[in-house]
Amino acid sequence: MNIPPVEPGTVGPCPVAPDALQGIKRQQTNPARWNGAGWQAFVADLRTAGVELAESRAACGAYATDAGGTAYGQPHGVAIARSAGEVAALLRTAQAHRVPVTVRGGGLTTEGESVAYGGVLLDMTGMSRVLAIDATALTVRVEAGIYWHSLAEELRREKLDYLSAPLNLTSSVGGTLGVGGIDVNSARLGCSADQALSLQVVTPTGEIVECSDTENVELFQRVILGYGQFGVITEATLRVRPYTPLSMHYYYYSSLRTAIEDLQMLDRNDASDYSGILTIMDCAVNLLVAFDSDEREAAFRRDWEARLRGHGEFGFALCMLGHYALRPWKAGEALYLLKRKQAVFPEFRRPEYMRDNKMHDRSVVFSRAVWKHWGSRNMVIPDLATPADKFVAAVERGNAVCRKFFAHYTLYCVGIKLRPEHRPHYEMSCVPPDAEGWAYGCEFEPMIEGEVYSRDHFQAFKNAIYDIGVDLGASYYRFGGMMKGYIRRTFGDELVDKHLAMKRRADPAMILNRDVIF
Amino acid sequence: MRNVDVVIVGASLAAAAAAKRLVDAGLETVILERKELPRHKICSGILSPRGHRFLLENFGPLPPETLHEPTACRGVTFHFPSMVSMPMDFFHGTTPHLHRKYSDHWAIQRSGAEVHDQTSFAGLEDRADHVLVHARQNGAPIEYRARQVIGADGPSSLVVRAVYPDYTKQIPWFFVGQKFHEIIDCPLSPDYFHFWFHPGLGHYTWSHARDGRQIVGVGFKRGDNFAKKHQVVEQYLRDKHGVQLKPADDDHEGCAENFGPSLINRYVFGKGNVLVTGQAAGFLNMIGEGMSCALHSGAISGEAIVEAQRRNRPVQEIYRKMIASEVRRCSDQWNPLKIAFERPHEADFPEALMKLSWRERGLVLRDMWRFIVLFKEFKWGRQIASAALQRPLVGGYSMQRWL
Repeated sequence: MNIPPVEPGTVGPCPVAPDALQGIKRQQTNPARWNGAGWQAFVADLRTAGVELAESRAACGAYATDAGGTAYGQPHGVAIARSAGEVAALLRTAQAHRVPVTVRGGGLTTEGESVAYGGVLLDMTGMSRVLAIDATALTVRVEAGIYWHSLAEELRREKLDYLSAPLNLTSSVGGTLGVGGIDVNSARLGCSADQALSLQVVTPTGEIVECSDTENVELFQRVILGYGQFGVITEATLRVRPYTPLSMHYYYYSSLRTAIEDLQMLDRNDASDYSGILTIMDCAVNLLVAFDSDEREAAFRRDWEARLRGHGEFGFALCMLGHYALRPWKAGEALYLLKRKQAVFPEFRRPEYMRDNKMHDRSVVFSRAVWKHWGSRNMVIPDLATPADKFVAAVERGNAVCRKFFAHYTLYCVGIKLRPEHRPHYEMSCVPPDAEGWAYGCEFEPMIEGEVYSRDHFQAFKNAIYDIGVDLGASYYRFGGMMKGYIRRTFGDELVDKHLAMKRRADPAMILNRDVIF
Repeated sequence: MRNVDVVIVGASLAAAAAAKRLVDAGLETVILERKELPRHKICSGILSPRGHRFLLENFGPLPPETLHEPTACRGVTFHFPSMVSMPMDFFHGTTPHLHRKYSDHWAIQRSGAEVHDQTSFAGLEDRADHVLVHARQNGAPIEYRARQVIGADGPSSLVVRAVYPDYTKQIPWFFVGQKFHEIIDCPLSPDYFHFWFHPGLGHYTWSHARDGRQIVGVGFKRGDNFAKKHQVVEQYLRDKHGVQLKPADDDHEGCAENFGPSLINRYVFGKGNVLVTGQAAGFLNMIGEGMSCALHSGAISGEAIVEAQRRNRPVQEIYRKMIASEVRRCSDQWNPLKIAFERPHEADFPEALMKLSWRERGLVLRDMWRFIVLFKEFKWGRQIASAALQRPLVGGYSMQRWL
């Protein structure tokens, strides 16, 4: 038998062990289905505690997948959250019986984080009320299962608006606070998770605790951007602001690098209220800039507009015409751009949302457009979050990966203003550890266009994007599911083990959202 | 009669992957295996990095009993009659040397599906909304009523025969056999899987180390004599490579192989509610490695069933759309245009070629051509050429050619 020699005092590398495979850390990332041990006793105890549980195939089947549409799993039973007390009873009983609990808000995860592979699925959308609006202190208290668009609707009646929220209609407040949440104003107002002032959290052992920057600080730090590991958010107090319609400007680029440099220049100088980049592949790069007030818009026009290197719509059309006239073999690409432009652009200027040339209700306008023109059965959106200086490299390399895997795709880039005093919140989160001032995020979204791809095709694509993150020392908006394989590579064993130890203390039976990151 | 969601025939890696997806999605799944588990399986056990990744991600770290010694393989070495040798490391690191008896059993157990071993598949009746599966358990007849059936029972698949009775007559069959020798002296590196492009030795000739012995394997068109073919290879290794081996031990083994469908894009994916996957469907990578495509295509068959139920679409339609990516990946490995201009394999052949001198490169290409000529009688040339041209034109391989 051939046994390689080993120096005394050392253990030789194992050729099939952790680092034998490059690319992805050797770890089971598709969790095994929970075996159901002790389920009946758990159900009996739960019913005694007065918690309603649906076990029918139809009830469970409704939660078989998430927005990603690539991970499938069925819980043993579904509980719809009605109150913090009920959530606490559920978690206490689950902890005693070691039954896994997967929490789901809008189900907009993309890697199966809100898919239950057995155990209980806790649907938070049952808790979706606005509890109190304080128009003078500019705060709102909500139940965490509420969708941002429902919250927006209630706030508008008081002439108020949330600060920043994801650009889709059905992500829940609780879920967003747990992972980040970005908007086109994040470069100015920070990510959604940073607008929470205080939270009511049910810990994995079933205690109902209020936490904030001054009360139960450590729990607050862990729950915000904590991927649901340290508690279930049941209520949240959020900062709000007076509502204003916005005036939009679009600038067009043919180079990703130039557009990103201009975006970062605007962010650094606080030149706009909203800014972001939305592209059609890497051919038409659209920098969108918007303002809450005429004064800010006038200041921008006076001081900054001339410095932008982008074109107006007409100028860019001429550039493209010249570009493709010289490259007739790319006629297909040109046609696609044209078709896409005709389909998407009117969506942002729909007359029912435009008054006096200002856009009313950006959440509806953007969300509609996102679902109508980018949404599909499979939301495959790997992403990278980097410090400002590494962002161009990350986007350019990710763009090359998109080109390799899909015919058509979109990139969506925004800045995220960081709050220095919230640095402890950012530990092991989507915010890259070395980001100062702003982090930048880019989503890489292939256009599925009715095609059916295997899960492995998507996975290979995502891995290729995530590998760039590891290489650059970046982070990601989301961790979980298949991402689990990357967390140690990104943050190192020491930090991950520290959080794992905290998780074990907080959740001794490791029942809450257990296969998401650890 | 047992009523289940899905019956999987065969307890291989493809079955484990399919079962994993089905069980995760909450479907009641039963695996039928002819033999008693854990069962012996003829295989070199050299997995590709992509298959390694799949195992890790879906079933977790490999326990020691699932591996042969040496536990890992660094890559593949090609040998040519002109005595040029080209070692090529796998792109993504070393890969495990699987002990199929235990690795398959481990994966099947980890999938969470119910396993009925010593139950041999005897036939099926597709009744549109369900399939009736006939089997024999320890000799006694037993029936299953399933919504879908997955055939993952390897190259000489009984499920394929049940669905397409004539299929086995339509394709050429090969025999691959391996014998195990005690080593006296073996200059062939134990870190690599060795493969010979030598028309005089056979259609598929390989050797590598396992558990202190050397495997000498040979593949040829069915009908030839295994002992004679093996003797030629053993002699060749002794004369040309200085491999000194004791006479073969008694535990030699061999099986029939359906080598060919992935070259000419002639896969067989089943009919109605019956899906065929893994090597039964014709998947085989270029170095004859079938495990990674078995794992991936198996998983896709499971995903397709889940998807079809959720979308209320015919399962064949969904399966064929989803399997296209695996077909592209696998057939690309055989596509001469891809090999010449891209990197479809998991080891870098063009780079290894460029490391050689101009003269050696010439010899290698000449030897490869002479080796390819050996396959002339199967008349695959035109089909391979048309598939190769189809690939850049339509971005894939024609589904029309699949059964």
